[in-house]
Amino acid sequence: MAEQLNITRLPPLTVPSLSVAASYDQHRGKGTPLIIDNGSTHLRFGFCTSNGPRSQSNAVAKYKERRTNKPLLLFGDGIEAEGGAKSQVKTPWEGDVLLNFDALENALDYAFIQLGIDTPSIEHPVLMTERLCSPLHSRSLTSELMFEQYCVPSLAFCVDSVMSFYYNNLPSPPVPFSSDGLVVSFNTASTSVIPVLNGKGLMSHAKRIPWGASQATDYLLKLIQLKYPTFPTRVTTMQTNWMLQNFCEFSIDYPGLLRRLKDPLSMRASERILQFPFTLPTIEEKTEEELARIAERKREQGRKLQEIAAKARQEKLAQKENDLQHMLSLRERRDEESKKEWAVRNTLQEEGFDDDAELDSAIKKLENDLKKVRKKDADGDELEDEPPSFPLLDVPDADLEEDQLKEKRKQRLMKAGYEARERAKREKEREREEREAEERREVEERERDLAGWASKLKKEQEAIMNKIKERNRRRAALNDRKSAAAQARMKSIANLAADDRVPKKRRKGGGEDLFGADDADWAIYRKINNAAPSSDEEEDMVTLQAVEQKLLQHDPSFTHEHTHASLSAQRSALLTAFRPQYDDGDVEGKSRIHLNIERWRVCEAWFSPNMAGVDSAGLGEIMQNVLSRFSDQEKGRLVKNVFVTGGPSQLPELVPRMQAMLRPILPPEMPLEIVRAADPMSDAWKGMADFAKTDEFTKVGVTKEEYEEWGGERIKRWWGGNWNSSIPLE
Amino acid sequence: MHLPRPFKNPHYTKNVNRRTKNLKAVLTHERDRERADRERRRQEKEDAMEVDGEPGDSTPEEEMPTYASIEAPPSLLPQRRYCDITGLEGPYTDPATGLRYHDKSVYELIKGLSAAAAKDYLAARGVNPIVK
Repeated sequence: MAEQLNITRLPPLTVPSLSVAASYDQHRGKGTPLIIDNGSTHLRFGFCTSNGPRSQSNAVAKYKERRTNKPLLLFGDGIEAEGGAKSQVKTPWEGDVLLNFDALENALDYAFIQLGIDTPSIEHPVLMTERLCSPLHSRSLTSELMFEQYCVPSLAFCVDSVMSFYYNNLPSPPVPFSSDGLVVSFNTASTSVIPVLNGKGLMSHAKRIPWGASQATDYLLKLIQLKYPTFPTRVTTMQTNWMLQNFCEFSIDYPGLLRRLKDPLSMRASERILQFPFTLPTIEEKTEEELARIAERKREQGRKLQEIAAKARQEKLAQKENDLQHMLSLRERRDEESKKEWAVRNTLQEEGFDDDAELDSAIKKLENDLKKVRKKDADGDELEDEPPSFPLLDVPDADLEEDQLKEKRKQRLMKAGYEARERAKREKEREREEREAEERREVEERERDLAGWASKLKKEQEAIMNKIKERNRRRAALNDRKSAAAQARMKSIANLAADDRVPKKRRKGGGEDLFGADDADWAIYRKINNAAPSSDEEEDMVTLQAVEQKLLQHDPSFTHEHTHASLSAQRSALLTAFRPQYDDGDVEGKSRIHLNIERWRVCEAWFSPNMAGVDSAGLGEIMQNVLSRFSDQEKGRLVKNVFVTGGPSQLPELVPRMQAMLRPILPPEMPLEIVRAADPMSDAWKGMADFAKTDEFTKVGVTKEEYEEWGGERIKRWWGGNWNSSIPLE
Repeated sequence: MHLPRPFKNPHYTKNVNRRTKNLKAVLTHERDRERADRERRRQEKEDAMEVDGEPGDSTPEEEMPTYASIEAPPSLLPQRRYCDITGLEGPYTDPATGLRYHDKSVYELIKGLSAAAAKDYLAARGVNPIVK
């Protein structure tokens, strides 16, 4: 079993570091543009002169700390530190749309505090990101927030992916931006394709797929839960996210990959094992002496009970003997005295006996009991009755008196019983002898010809197994209403219930229903009744087991694997490779997750979201759609520079896959080049920072006066911004 | 986060209107507005045409992209069938539950699933059987 156990432990939760607020002196009064990249997962912010953004995860939690009972407002990574805060986390984004403005306000507060701003209002022009064609509601509220609450002098919106594209294709200033390309942006909750021609982002031709990293994480989590329904610990979204980032990759040819992974060996080779933390159950192992002590105690108790029982028996015995003595003395007295005096005295009645005969029988019973008990105490064997004698049976009825007649009847009954018992005993002995003879024969045969005997038994075993399988199949077929077996059953039921079953010939004779005369007729009820086969099954199982036992004992080539039990419980090799089973006691094994196919399955959903239930075209199809709206010449310009950006674009094998998707639909002489952003996570911010340094930036923003005149929804249309509700630049 | 925030405008009263609207509400609001807009524009165009008696130069209406309009259309390609349990190719379908499976060993597994588990598998694929 040379398997490559790629067991990785889950990373421990990292403690977030407190970031120090920067000093503001650098920027005081200078009016350096403030860049905020408002992403669904991370909020990146900073002044445009810094090299890189400060980044925090974009989440807010209002949490009441337990110990000091103070309400705390935590932001970003700080939420990880407090366990209770995690349950109350709120993000300003819901999917792709900005909705929760309280949270956004808190986020922005944090950003500004970190930057050290302490003026009564923000005195810097701000450049913020928006989603592609973000809803006007979100935009108006953001503008309102920025202008009214923070009093920024001007605010400009842009689309993050286009900015990232800009950064990677920076023209040397001051030449205006005029590159062409197709920007594919992988965001947290969506993926979008935007064509850029002549430096202008053509938003009207852009398309967005509602599948992003967060949906992929959810899908992976769902798959894991389905695969391991009884997993001991809960798997959180953070862990699934980590799994997604580290283990999942795109496959260049998904159907080919599946065909290769069908083979259990390759599936095993491709899996990654994740070990979750587990706790060993504390087994109370009693030491040897404790066990011995407990056993001793039990035995003591048993012995005491036995002694008590024996004493009780002794007492009863003594009592019986006394009674016997008393009654014997009575009898002697009776014999001594004459009958008349006996009757007069009514001694008998005092004793409670009606009659002499009763007295005699009572005495006899007691004597028998005593004898039995004494014998049992002596040697514990069962009494063997000597054949009791039945003298009266031989005497014909006429000679006997009434009493004796009764006696005779009694004796006849007893004789019949006794004879029956004898017969039963004899039959049992005969059976035993037969069985012994058969076993002897089998042993001889086995010793003579092992192979032949073994094969005979194996055939028997197969026959029984086949019968069981047949029966199972028949039962399954009966459950299905339309199968042939079920229809035959209905037909027989209908026949039985019908009245005119009697054949015409018999009708002349009297019209009686002769159904039950033949015993075989009753067998039809067995066929109809679905519940009946259970008794048959048990018999079969018993014989099967007996046969298997014999085979196991004597035949070296018949191992446990051939038995019916193991055959029926066998799981195919494929399923075992897919989800390996661990024994019950293996706690460590049970808290492992094996990821084999899921690694590619999740990423494949980007190219075909139908797999995961999202009714949308996949990335390849969308790119095809977008490209088809352009002329060939423009198409050529676009595909020469396909640009991939965004967090999830870091998943491996993405670029080869996209190449494989695009190459077939383009004419062969068109050069196709796919480029990934240098730093997918923060390139957008860097692009924005660079843009803010140019002059164009000042023309593009909406100033406070313009805001007050137009409201929050109007923006100016420029090459990097959205188009909806925008007016063209002068 | 309890540091002072001097940059905030103390006179700014929070607009109560901005209670977090539901995503669906926002999108429907957008859609309605867009429809009203389009109606209005079409009306204007008609008026303009009536007045002139001939089709005025219709400005090439670049479709204003909105959040809803750039959403990707449903897929037109034929769907591949994958096994619901393993993820391999799943050419066969179980008539009782509707799950797709890869081969007969997976079918054995499916036969042993409870109804709730089968529904979960189907939900992962996006098929939600309502009454079953």
